[in-house]
Amino acid sequence: MSEPAAIRLDHYYPHPPAAVWKALTDPELHARWWAAGDVRPIVGHRFELDMGPWGKQPCEVVAVEPERLLRYRFSVGRLDTFLDWRLAPEGEGTRLTLTHEGFDLDSPMGRQAFEGMKPGWPKVLARMECVL
Amino acid sequence: MTQIDVFAALSNPVRREILMRLRLGPQAAGDLAQGFDIGRPAISEHLQVLRKARLVREEPRGRERYYHLDPRPLGEVEAWIEAFSKYWKKRLAALEEVLNEEAKR
Repeated sequence: MSEPAAIRLDHYYPHPPAAVWKALTDPELHARWWAAGDVRPIVGHRFELDMGPWGKQPCEVVAVEPERLLRYRFSVGRLDTFLDWRLAPEGEGTRLTLTHEGFDLDSPMGRQAFEGMKPGWPKVLARMECVL
Repeated sequence: MTQIDVFAALSNPVRREILMRLRLGPQAAGDLAQGFDIGRPAISEHLQVLRKARLVREEPRGRERYYHLDPRPLGEVEAWIEAFSKYWKKRLAALEEVLNEEAKR
């Protein structure tokens, strides 16, 4: 309950870390599996991810370890959270761990985002599922 | 009794700590107040908020009031988190398709 909304998922890909890294950091590839935006593996780099019905989410890269870690602020000024992508070689492939964290219910903005998104979220999600 | 949103109730760290402690079993308000830097009246106020969110229920025992955890309203929060998890699972699956396509090139 001290972290009421941290989400962690992992997934194994039968592809080397370099390939997964490229899909996370190359705007053209990134747009094909998630959202269009000028993502770059450079600390301090600011970009926007176009999440369709959910709007353009401002992001800022905070940590980069090539082929190991990409961490950025996600939805700056709105949801104000962090996305943390960790890559680890596993056999001939890569284990990718995504952590979506920092939902700060104590800050007025975090609270507002949490509150504000709650009612609309199922609808947005349903719309997104149609788009996908 | 005015009902308080479970999200609003959880937005305060003291209230989250109270819920964590109540996971171990019911406690008297006086015992709960120990270990917090804030006074007992403040703890009582937090308990009232939790009660209005239906996250705790009160039981009078003699001169003391005991508080029990009721985790049922937390399902609302879980549903919200679950929606996010579902969204990310789809993204991770879509990533696999792109990786497969790229590997074939």
